[in-house]
Amino acid sequence: MTEFVQTLILGLLVGGVYALLASGLTLIFGVMNVINIAHGAFLILAAFITYSIWRAIGLDPLAGILITTPVMFVFGWVVYNLTLRRIRTGPAAATVLLTFGLALVVEGLMGIIWGNTAHAVTAPYFNESFHIGSLFLPKAQVYGGVLALVVLAVLWIVLTQSWLGRAIRAAAVNPQGAALVGVNVSAVSAATFAVGVASAGAGGSIASVLYTFLPGSHYVWISRLLGIIVLGGMGSLPGALIGALTLGIAETMTVTYISPSWATAVPYALVFVVLLVRPYGILGTRLREDVVT
Amino acid sequence: MLSAPAAAWSSWTPPEWVSSRRLRYGLIGAAALFIAAYPLLSDDRYYQNMIILSLVFAIGATGLNIITGYGGYVSLGQGAFIGLGGYTAAILSTKVGGNPFVWVPVAGVVAGLFAAALGVIAMRARGHTFVILTIVFLFLLQIVAINWRELTNGTAGLTMPLPRWSPDIANWPFYYALLGLLVVSIAMSWWIRRTKFGMGLVSIREDEDKAETVGINTPVYKILGFVASTVFVGMAGAVYGYYLSFVDPLGMFNILLSVQIILSVLLGGRGTLWGPVLGAFIVEPLNEFANNSLGGGNARLLVFGGLMALVVLFMPRGIVPAISEFLERRRTRGRAGLVGERLGAPIELKEREVPTAPAAVSGQTLLEVKNVAKRFGGLRAVDSCGFAVPEGSITALIGPNGSGKTTLFNLIDGTMPLDSGEVWFDGRRIDRQRPWNRAHAGVGRTFQITRLFKEMTVLENVVAPIREFRLRQLNADAVSGPEAERAEELLEFVGMLKYRDVPASALSYGQQKLVELAQVLMLDPKLILLDEPAGGINPTLIERMGDMIRELNSRGKTFLIVEHNMPFVLGLCDPVRVLGRGKLMAQGTPEEVQRDPRVLDAYLGDDFAVEPQVVEA
Repeated sequence: MTEFVQTLILGLLVGGVYALLASGLTLIFGVMNVINIAHGAFLILAAFITYSIWRAIGLDPLAGILITTPVMFVFGWVVYNLTLRRIRTGPAAATVLLTFGLALVVEGLMGIIWGNTAHAVTAPYFNESFHIGSLFLPKAQVYGGVLALVVLAVLWIVLTQSWLGRAIRAAAVNPQGAALVGVNVSAVSAATFAVGVASAGAGGSIASVLYTFLPGSHYVWISRLLGIIVLGGMGSLPGALIGALTLGIAETMTVTYISPSWATAVPYALVFVVLLVRPYGILGTRLREDVVT
Repeated sequence: MLSAPAAAWSSWTPPEWVSSRRLRYGLIGAAALFIAAYPLLSDDRYYQNMIILSLVFAIGATGLNIITGYGGYVSLGQGAFIGLGGYTAAILSTKVGGNPFVWVPVAGVVAGLFAAALGVIAMRARGHTFVILTIVFLFLLQIVAINWRELTNGTAGLTMPLPRWSPDIANWPFYYALLGLLVVSIAMSWWIRRTKFGMGLVSIREDEDKAETVGINTPVYKILGFVASTVFVGMAGAVYGYYLSFVDPLGMFNILLSVQIILSVLLGGRGTLWGPVLGAFIVEPLNEFANNSLGGGNARLLVFGGLMALVVLFMPRGIVPAISEFLERRRTRGRAGLVGERLGAPIELKEREVPTAPAAVSGQTLLEVKNVAKRFGGLRAVDSCGFAVPEGSITALIGPNGSGKTTLFNLIDGTMPLDSGEVWFDGRRIDRQRPWNRAHAGVGRTFQITRLFKEMTVLENVVAPIREFRLRQLNADAVSGPEAERAEELLEFVGMLKYRDVPASALSYGQQKLVELAQVLMLDPKLILLDEPAGGINPTLIERMGDMIRELNSRGKTFLIVEHNMPFVLGLCDPVRVLGRGKLMAQGTPEEVQRDPRVLDAYLGDDFAVEPQVVEA
């Protein structure tokens, strides 16, 4: 029983980190109808930046999000304006291929800068655990998971309370209508992309403490994150949270009760099973495509 | 100022033979001959190896082109089918023994079965689910190959039996097996593009909703297309495995295989027959160059990633279409564009005998809408609406803007699901059926804003609809033969035959309406729903449209017409159904309806202008 509770809590903490990382992906999809395949590469880039800062000045990696978030925001804004902006209204297949190309370029650049070896950021509390009753909870997992949920909450508040958030949601629901009431949809798209990439920045810093990473890790991450947003229902932020927590728990349960080596496979299998029953994901409904009147 | 050579270049007009078919096939033939003869001419293993790899990627790319180029669904997991084929051959030949001539086809079947299973899961949804699942699928297979050690020997991989033939011809069997597979792949791709099945795939790429309304069972098309994309790739993967005589998870399920295949399709020209092959023979040498001269690894990523981004941004259609467009532009420079010239000609309206007596109205009900409702949020677009369309009639559906006419059409043809109520057609309840089933039952529909498949020619547009879902129909030749003849007859009927090879996007709005009518007639429907057939077209054409409707009606077609042009609709239709605020407001003969005070009020009175719309939360 203790083992089960511990596994469940760990799963929720892992799921919190996944949720933060998936939120940016689902936000960009919801507003721009773009699947950002480079999202995984961006988060690994943030992890490497965190690593370099930590090595250089010894900054706590979790405090590193104060740097990676704005840096990745600017990076996202620049990437959007240099590339995606040109084909924003083009066919969806084009944006998938473009961001896939970007992912490969970022992977190659990271390989050149940091090398293709596994890196890890070891914070001072790396090997410590909280003991609550008979539960052992690694401090890094607890800090990381809680911080991810806090950042996610901030993102949620920004989206629901600020003018930018309302503009983003308006542009997502009805771009023409948003443009009519004075929302610059193109600028909002740039901001959305930047916010999405910034959240990958924050998530990347957190992930750098919890996982070892190398440039090629981004494939595992992007397929996991895509699995999450398909599972939850594409474009839905609550869906991403549900999908992430489901996947986090499924992974930790697999590690505990089946075998660590299968841990990455079972969640993928879960995605297939869920889609067999619900083709549009847990919270997803078929998007109402505007039937021409 | 241009320098002299540049000026000469910019004024260069290619002679006729440059863009002729003979040149194109000559080049392709020469390249094929060279590749076929290469192992006989040279013993250079390096280049033989490079061609062998190019062949593997060309087969992968030709396959991928079917689902991505024709069908419009991008797959990032195409490389997984090479891996699947390789592993199938490796596992069977090491565990069971036996002969490559058996295991290579088996590998193709295995790849096809996996594609069918993945298609069943991913293709029922629209849009991005598919591309995402293809990535997930690739990594899932890799994880399985790593972890299922009893079967795959894990990361250590499987070593396959070495060939027993003479070392003098060491590479030949692989080389020619792959060349043969490529030829078969290209033949299949060529054939698919000519069939009704291929037309259906392209129409899905162009407008999936519209495709459903012309009878195309989109999930089945997409799944079949995906299977067709993978079978020969699985076989090529098996040959590739035998060639390497070793398979391991990181090599066989490497995403860079997928990258190289996608890049080949994209660079060469997706949707073209030869583009993917050309692309593969460009990308593989580039890959070798990046590996050997640029330091491999990261340089390869930069080259592939950068090239992919650049192609998407600056040459989205690829090399083959870019070249043919360039030649076409050069050839037609200084003259009115070929298309413009032909389109300028007035439509010849053939004098036709217009039957004076309308078809006998049988009195039976063909379509009945019972108590149907549809809400959009708080707005009740259609609300407990009911009426009937008698068989053999030309029934009008009129009403003020926003009264729910088009929404009703969407509910009848299945473009939108209804909230409550029933729709009966020809004695069957159809409101839970998918759009293509309704089309097969005999419901055809045109759209208010025409929705032709823009990148398809007029003939292809008309030949794409499917009357009934049968494999024989799918495999029917669409470019020539009975289907094409029938399409030409219909184009002749609407007066658009001379535009048969013009892309639909080049037609005027009125012309598009005529082609869309011919397209719907291809379904041979019992009931035709026309959404504003006279909207936005010139008076001559309106008259012609009326004549055609009467003629079709005299041949037994029933019509339900939404129209705002009152003289047109009241002169043509009987009976008339009037909608107001989503309800049936009045009905009767044109005379009765014109005298009805409620109708006059709705159209002319202040009822709708002043009274605020009650919107319920």
